[in-house]
Amino acid sequence: MKNVRVIYEKNGPCKYISHLDTNRVMLRAIGKSKLNIWYTEGFNRHAYITFALPLSLGFGSTCESMDFRILDDNEDLSAIPERLNCCLPKGIRVLSCKEAVYKPADIESAEYDITLEAMDSNDISEKELSIKLNEFLSLPEIIVEKKTKKGIKNVDLKGYILRFELSDGDKVGFSLTLPAGSSLNINPNLLINAFSDYIGTELYADITRTGVFIKGGKSFE
Amino acid sequence: MYPKEIERLLLKVQKPGRYVGGELGEVIKDKRDVEVRFAFCFPDTYEIGMSHLGIKILYSLFNEKPYIWCERVFAPWIDMEAQMREHDIPLYALESGDPLYDFDFIGFTLQYELSYTNILNMLSLGGIPLLSKDRHGLEHIVVAGGPCACNPEPITDFIDIFFLGDGEEVDLEVIELYRECKKEGCDRAEFLRRASQIKGVYVPSLYDVSYNDDATIRSVTPRDGAPAVIEKRVMMNMDESYYPDNFVVPNIEIVHDRAVEEIFRGCIRGCRFCQAGFLYRPVREKSVECISKQCHALCRNTGYDEVSLSSLSSSDYSQVVPMLKELNSWAKPENVSLSLPSLRVDGFSDDILDEIKTVRKSGLTFAPEAGSQRLRDAINKNVHEDELINTCRVAFDGGYTTVKLYFMIGLPTETMDDVADIANLGRKVVDTFYSAEGRVKGKSPRVTVSASSFVPKPFTPFQWEPQDTMDVLKEKQQHIKNSITTKKITYNYHASDTSFLEAVFARGDRRLNKALLLAHERGIRFDGWSDCFDFQAWLDVLSDSGIDPAFYANRRRSFDEVLPWDHLDYGVTKSFLQRECERAYRSEASPNCREKCMGCGAMKYGGGVCYEER
Repeated sequence: MKNVRVIYEKNGPCKYISHLDTNRVMLRAIGKSKLNIWYTEGFNRHAYITFALPLSLGFGSTCESMDFRILDDNEDLSAIPERLNCCLPKGIRVLSCKEAVYKPADIESAEYDITLEAMDSNDISEKELSIKLNEFLSLPEIIVEKKTKKGIKNVDLKGYILRFELSDGDKVGFSLTLPAGSSLNINPNLLINAFSDYIGTELYADITRTGVFIKGGKSFE
Repeated sequence: MYPKEIERLLLKVQKPGRYVGGELGEVIKDKRDVEVRFAFCFPDTYEIGMSHLGIKILYSLFNEKPYIWCERVFAPWIDMEAQMREHDIPLYALESGDPLYDFDFIGFTLQYELSYTNILNMLSLGGIPLLSKDRHGLEHIVVAGGPCACNPEPITDFIDIFFLGDGEEVDLEVIELYRECKKEGCDRAEFLRRASQIKGVYVPSLYDVSYNDDATIRSVTPRDGAPAVIEKRVMMNMDESYYPDNFVVPNIEIVHDRAVEEIFRGCIRGCRFCQAGFLYRPVREKSVECISKQCHALCRNTGYDEVSLSSLSSSDYSQVVPMLKELNSWAKPENVSLSLPSLRVDGFSDDILDEIKTVRKSGLTFAPEAGSQRLRDAINKNVHEDELINTCRVAFDGGYTTVKLYFMIGLPTETMDDVADIANLGRKVVDTFYSAEGRVKGKSPRVTVSASSFVPKPFTPFQWEPQDTMDVLKEKQQHIKNSITTKKITYNYHASDTSFLEAVFARGDRRLNKALLLAHERGIRFDGWSDCFDFQAWLDVLSDSGIDPAFYANRRRSFDEVLPWDHLDYGVTKSFLQRECERAYRSEASPNCREKCMGCGAMKYGGGVCYEER
């Protein structure tokens, strides 16, 4: 038995399915693919799968991971993506399958590609939006309310922006790296909502997770 | 694929996964390659509609034809509707994302009366003229089928064609006719006239209804060669009848999230309140081999690990134990679990329990429907108290602690004593738990007693009966509550106002069309959802339309009155229904179809249970 990790992308219609629904979709795909994986041995036997870092509803991703245990040590892992892909709905595609290297608890940060536009394009021009964004990010601090298990507390997002890079293109877009993982997780929507409040305009953000990293910025694999 | 414009709206609504399609098993075609586009509309939310078996059968059946592309459309929930109206986004089909007005056929399934306002709302959101008379040209043919098509009179202004009975053949015949008419350049009227000649097709615009002075119907007269009586269609050979080997598998959780196999159509019982028990006569079974083959294919193709064996009364399947054994020969090794809903109290045996034990133990649900034996005989629910108690004992011995009991109040001939017996029966079930040797020690039983209000339906022996007034129903609900003396019983009852509205529309006539239109204009929809249902708004609509709802709900009809659905033929004769009604007055039960033929009329279809060897 070996622990394997598949990396998959999640976009299109599947952006709009929740983490729990994704779990169900994956269980059915595994059942249908007849992959020989380890099942739990309780009363309701089901394929044992785990996800390292849940993805918020509405986010796309190019780097989601799912772990399971393959029963046959000689199984050809390189054939697994195709076996799963023919059992998955439009929008979820397995890119690779390898033995798991790091533990989910090692995850420290995640990178997002974000495109912003005003919900109502009459409210603010692209150019204006871009200027305001720079202004916003130059503020000495960005205090937002964050819900945690212990209640609501104020955090300064400024200190959590690990990397920020404007991207080229017609639309206002940027790449952003934020803390992620089980101990500290910052959702990029916190920053976008704070910006939306700052300019007083309702925004639409197209968000795609493009990387998940462990200590030292190494890709989680 | 959903329209690009909705992406920004999706994050503002609950469960956006309802509106995007893209599921495994959806059928995508190139619209330039097809001749007929059919929008299959379910007038409720995605989770409800996707749980419905009929849509799955017809979706696959239509899409097997290369010249048809059938797509799915559901009613957007009120939050999404508000967004769509605000941003001028028409209701679209999930597969192509194209608006409803791009379709040749707009087909609705009529599962319950309280979804009628959603039909109007969906048409309006889809840019389709609401009234049949306002739709011109050979496009936008609005069709409907399903159980409520047995009295479609309240929605005849909106629907061009009704399909009566099983849809597998008649739907395709009408689509094929449409294709021909398009090629020949026929107009809409000509197409509808020719459609009316197909068996099982009811074109309401070809019938004139006249009324007596007392507001009852005088006559229904066909025009343009339409048949005087429209006969339902029946699939007699279930093994050879089309059944899909794949479903569209939703990405989000739906109400019935599992594979479904229909094991037979119809019901041998003839419970006198049950419309389905009469509409789907005669009983037609699938063979064990056919069921096993179809189930296996479905599980393989969908990836579901649970199969529900669907019918009106599962334990009446003549080969139930051999079927479960055959299914388990592959289901157990493949980790697939079986569930057998609609088990009867008297059909619950150790054998069955053993075979379905793989399913998680939730609880048991039984529907004695009435509290006293006298009333159960009157409604022909042939369940005896000792059978119920024995079954509960078997279940308690087997480790169950939860039992749900479903009842109806307002049944014909019911007295306050019958009502109090509902509480008494609940108490006896609690007592049974404590006398069961094998019960789970240290746990107390949970018995849920639910009482819904009886709604008299067309094509049942109670089609002439008045519904109890809401005051009487409320009094009966309270009487049960007061008769329950133990905390081990949880008592639920359903609001009587929705049942009242359901009763109005179930036996309504064409004069209700204008009330529906007015209700739609006032923004009424999702009447089946308690968070949307507004009874006062409905009373206003009815009163402003000059309609007395009590005329439809609370009036006793005489046996010789012309009923709004008398020109429709579902196989059971009016004289049989009258005989059954009179037996009910005498509290006399009737034997089931396998015990003795009562001559309902369904024998004319030449098959099924009527010709089984006995």
